Order: sequence, then C-alpha cells, then structure tokens
Amino acid sequence: METDVLIIGAGPAGLTAAVETASRGLDVTIVEESLSMGGQLIQQTQVLGSLPSFYQPKRGFELAQRLRKLVEDTSVRCLLGHRVIGFYKDGSVGISDEANVFPLKAKKIIVATGAAEKAIAFPKWTLPGIMTIGAAQTLLNRDFVLPGKHAVIIGTSDFAMDVALQLSEGGVQVKAMVEKSQTVLARDTEKVNQVSKMGIPVHVNSSIKEARGIGRVEEIDIEQREQIMTIPLDTVCVDGGRSPILDVFYQLECSFGYQRELGGWIPQYNPFFRTDREDVFLAGNAAGVSSQGVLLVTGIIAGINASESLGALSKEEAEIKTTSLWKEIETLETKLDPDVWNARIRHVQNYEHPVLTDQFIS
Amino acid sequence: MDTNYETIIIGGGVLGSSIAYHLSDCKKDRILVLDQKFPLAGTSGSTQAWIWVHNKTPSWYAEFNMYSAELFPYLAKKIGDVEYKQTGGLSPFFNEADREKALQLAKAYKEIGIKIKVLSREEALEKEPSLNPNVAGATYSSIDGNVNPFRLVDRYMRAAKKNGVQYSTFNKVTEIQKLHDKFIVVSEKGTFVCKNLILAGGTWSRELGKLVDINIPVNQVRGQILVTEPLKPFLNYTISGVRQTFNGEVLIGYSMEKEGFNRATTLDLIQETANMAVHYIPGLRKAKVVRAFSGIRAMPEDGLPILGSIPGIDRLYVAATHSGMTLSPLIGTLMSELILDGETSVPIDRYSISRFDSLVR
Repeated sequence: METDVLIIGAGPAGLTAAVETASRGLDVTIVEESLSMGGQLIQQTQVLGSLPSFYQPKRGFELAQRLRKLVEDTSVRCLLGHRVIGFYKDGSVGISDEANVFPLKAKKIIVATGAAEKAIAFPKWTLPGIMTIGAAQTLLNRDFVLPGKHAVIIGTSDFAMDVALQLSEGGVQVKAMVEKSQTVLARDTEKVNQVSKMGIPVHVNSSIKEARGIGRVEEIDIEQREQIMTIPLDTVCVDGGRSPILDVFYQLECSFGYQRELGGWIPQYNPFFRTDREDVFLAGNAAGVSSQGVLLVTGIIAGINASESLGALSKEEAEIKTTSLWKEIETLETKLDPDVWNARIRHVQNYEHPVLTDQFIS
Repeated sequence: MDTNYETIIIGGGVLGSSIAYHLSDCKKDRILVLDQKFPLAGTSGSTQAWIWVHNKTPSWYAEFNMYSAELFPYLAKKIGDVEYKQTGGLSPFFNEADREKALQLAKAYKEIGIKIKVLSREEALEKEPSLNPNVAGATYSSIDGNVNPFRLVDRYMRAAKKNGVQYSTFNKVTEIQKLHDKFIVVSEKGTFVCKNLILAGGTWSRELGKLVDINIPVNQVRGQILVTEPLKPFLNYTISGVRQTFNGEVLIGYSMEKEGFNRATTLDLIQETANMAVHYIPGLRKAKVVRAFSGIRAMPEDGLPILGSIPGIDRLYVAATHSGMTLSPLIGTLMSELILDGETSVPIDRYSISRFDSLVR
C-alpha cells in the first residue's frame, strides 16, 4: 500500500492536517487505533472557549462532528481500529489491524499521536474506583455510565473544573477537590466560581495520603497542614496532567528537546512543524500543545507544509499561511499562559541544537 | 571521593560487577568500578539471560561454560536470589539429517563430561508438549537454564558495595596512562590512580583498548527480542531462542545483526522472529507480543572469551566475552585469582589476548 501523506492519529490535530492535505489533491491515509474519529474531543461537552478566530465557539463533541464531516467530504482513507506498531528497514510503516501487519509506504508522515494522562501514585492507588480524570469523563460523556456516586477529584486544573461540573450535573456528588499547591491552578475564574456555587469544597495545601477499601475504594485520607481528613467515597479522579506520546518519534529516530511547560520531552521541530527528519511532521499534543484551539492550528500548519513539501502548494503561499497561523498561536497561547508561549518559542529556536539525538545508541 | 585505588575496573556490567564482587570477597582492598552509563543500561540489561552450555563449540569452550553454570546455585547462596532456574535446555531439530550432527556433538561432549541426550521425536514431545509436532528430535542438556539479568547484576553490585567497592557511574574514561607501577585513569568526573586495571567494557572493549594502544578485537552484534504478554506457565524447558520468565512472559530472540551500536528494532526482524517462534511452538501464534527491544552484544572476533593479563603492560587485564551472563561467576572467580595469586584454578591460557595480533604500536 502506498500513500502521499500518512497521518497517525485522528484527533483534532490529525483531522485538520488531513483536511489541509487531502483538499489539495494529495492521497491521504489516517491510521487511528480507536474505532472513531475525533480523539478526546468526543467526550468534551463543555464549550471550548479559546478556539482560533476562524472558528465559532463550540462544544467539543460538536467540533469533532464538524471535523469528521470535513474529512468525510474528502477522499481520505481512514483506517480505524488500526495501529502503527513499528517500521521496516526500508522505511515502510508497519500497520496492524490486530490480526495482521502490513507495510505502508508514505512519502510524508504527520505524527498526531496525542498525549496520555499521567496518574498520581499513593498507597492503594490501584484500587478499583480510582481512575484518571479523563477516564471518568469518558465513562460519563462517551459511554453514559456514572463512574460512581461519591467522588473526590485530586487536582484543580481547568480540565479538572470542567469534569467536576460535568460529574455534578450528571448526578455524582463531588465531595471535594484537592490541591497540593497554595492556590487553585485553573485560570478560568468563571469555572472556578461555578464550582464553588455548586457547593464543591476546594482544599488547597492538601494532598491525598492513602486510599483504603476491600475490593474497591471506600475511603481516602487527605492531609492538610498535618491534619488528616477521612472521606468516605466510591470514586477518586486523579489529574496528573498529560505527557506527549512519543513512541513513533523514537522509532523514527527524531531528535528531542526538553521544555517543562510543554509537557517535558518533545520532538524538536521548526516553525513548519517539521521534525529534524525531512519527511516527518507533527501536530497537536505530540508537539507539546494542550489547548484545543492551538491543537487545531498546529494540525493546519503541519498539513500546509507537508503539502508544500510534495509540491501541492507554492513555497510563498505556505510561508504566508504559516506566518499568519503562528500569529493565531501567539494570540491564543499568550492569553492562556504566556509561559507556554515563551517555552514554544524557545523550543523552536533550539531546532538546530537538540538535546537528545542518539537515543538508540547504547 | 578517593582518588587512589588498588584496583579499578572499567565497566560495571555483568562481568565488571562480578569481578568486583569476587575480588572484594577475597580481599577488601580499595576497588573502584567506573561505568560510562549505569550498570544494566547496556548489554547486561537487554538480554534473554540464558545460562547456556549446550551446543557451544568447541567442546572445551562448552566445558568452560559448564563450570560457570555449576556455580550458580552456590552464587545465589552468597549474593541472594537471582531467580536462577536450572530448567534444562532443549534444542529441537526438524530434519533427520540433523540427528547425525547431534549425535556427534553428544559424543564430543561426552569425552569432556558434559551429558547431552539426543531425543527422539516422541521423547522431545513428551518433555515439551507444546513443541511443533513436526519436530524430528532435540538435543537435551540438564545443566542449562536461565536467570533474571537485572537481579543478577544488581546482586553482584550490592554484594560488591557491601564489601566496600565503590561505583562511579555516568563517568566515561577518556584517557589511561601508565606511570612506573601505577595507572592514571582520567575520567569525566576526575582522575584516579590504581595498581591493577581491568578492562571490562563489553561491547566498548575496542574503544577502551585504544586508550592503551591495544587492539581488543570485540565487535557488536545486535539481537532483537520479543516479549509476549504474561501467559500461564507452559514451557518446561529453556528452548533455543525461547524461554518463559517467572511472571509468564515469553522472551523470543534468534537474531544476530551487524548494526554497530544502533539499538533500534525493525519490523522485518520482529516478524521473522515471531515466525520462527511459531514454527518451534505453534501455540505462540495466539500470544500477543507486547514489546520488542534490541540488545547490543559483545562478540570477540573468534567468538571466544578474551581473558587475562595483557602482555607487555604489567597489571593490565582484560575480560571481554559473549555469553557474559553464563560465564560471569567463573570469570569473576578466575580474574580475582589471577589478580591476587597470579594463577587461576581453571586454565585460561586459551583465552589470552595474545592469540590475536593485538599490539597497535
């Protein structure tokens, strides 16, 4: 099997990249391990506030539907339920449908593998009923299953606030939110106010000490200024943040840099969202992007420049579009968190001087 | 950190750490191990870790392996549990023509006291029912088995440290000078002085040799290994290329590639390896492979260990070999004897570096 552009991952970044490339007449293939397109957008029921200027505010799942429609209107080949599991010596990509493995030769690859949630470890953290906050949201919004009746959320990020509100609206009693820092981390004060209006207590300077239960979580101890508070419950949602999924980049022997604000180790890339390999582009969470709006923009940039590299659009046009899209990123990121924007600029400037280049040399 | 040592060992892998442990167990005398990364970061941490004697040639090399394998039960008593299992080893063959070769091997081994049985098809299937029923037979030796490589190296290291051995890790040696009766070892983190210097750099031996103008002819060989999901215990023996670990994972690996120090994995070889495994044990077709990894192995030019003192440079020693897991207890013991007594209880002349044309200058 052969294709012009292989896109790994059908989340928001992968889908915008697919639209950009396929609409310019290129032969595009998406590989997606789940059975549906849209990635994490599918279970986002909140209105996404900070979208690029050319998008109307939308709920996450509505945006997923729209992107899916756009992709379906093109001739993109969608391999759902397929995974990239390695690479052949001649550079072909090995794709598995869980029963067989077949090679696919791609002229360009856009990696949009997203990020994985990180858990927080504490004694008995593996008891059933303790899950990442994203898992709780997926149960509630995608599978329409309540994760439990009485929950505590460990973490106070914007995402944690969203999920706290959604759990409450769904009928789960959120007994507390626990934050180890001195202040709530969420930047969206309106959401924080909504949470406090719902009567959800937020404990700062606090951390989870341990969980207890037989066969499933029954209570947890929260430590606050050396005082222990025991809360009976059946669900604990932990928000340990996310880290980019990098396996494919390692396999492709791309170089890496480290930016704490962008999620830690991420592939080195230039303003065209190209890695140090001429045929490998990237977008979205895998590039250390976590806000929904910026995800979409990076997918567009990667798509435009992959198209340019295949001659489907002129260099001048690609540069003009890329520059104006970087303006969008700047607007969105400086508004959300200037530290993230500054880290992104540093990362792109380091393109010629990657920190990690020989990860496969023993 | 001290700068003055009796003995410095360069390389903290299974061989370097075994030498450090055995030497310190005989005489606690200011020993330092230098590692450019960390023990287990390289070859020792990326192996299937068979303790394997059978079908190694020539027979005197197999004998050397047997002596080492026999030390494992005793070793575990001294340094702690290393998950050593003497499972016995099976090498299946699929052609009647191979039976003659197997019988010859068995005969050669018998002369030096290694017992190998040549099994019929029925005997092989009775011992290991999951083997391919098309098997023609197998060679079997009871001395073979396997070990947990992480535990083994870690236990060597802990036992050595208990005996006062110091480790300096992420510390690459950049220069070696001989000054009168001392070696000056310059590393990234400082300069050390010692009387005895042992080069145990494994795959990096050639590079280490250059620092003392000696050619240590060790090449790199890449092996790609597949790991399955944990399966119920079903393999009774260590089978050439396939073994099941304590927790049920099956490790599969046959490959040998010349790719220098590149530890990447390739799907071509992963598929070839999986097919090979299914050919040996058809039931593995249903197993899920959860990951694959590569290890770079040390391979002396003629396949045999390079051990002992280096002619022309007093008190400079080398220990470099393939099959470091199997050979580590014996080589650790013999190198300690050589350094402390000047002679070894099992002769190692055959393994001297002098068999090669090694002096660069």
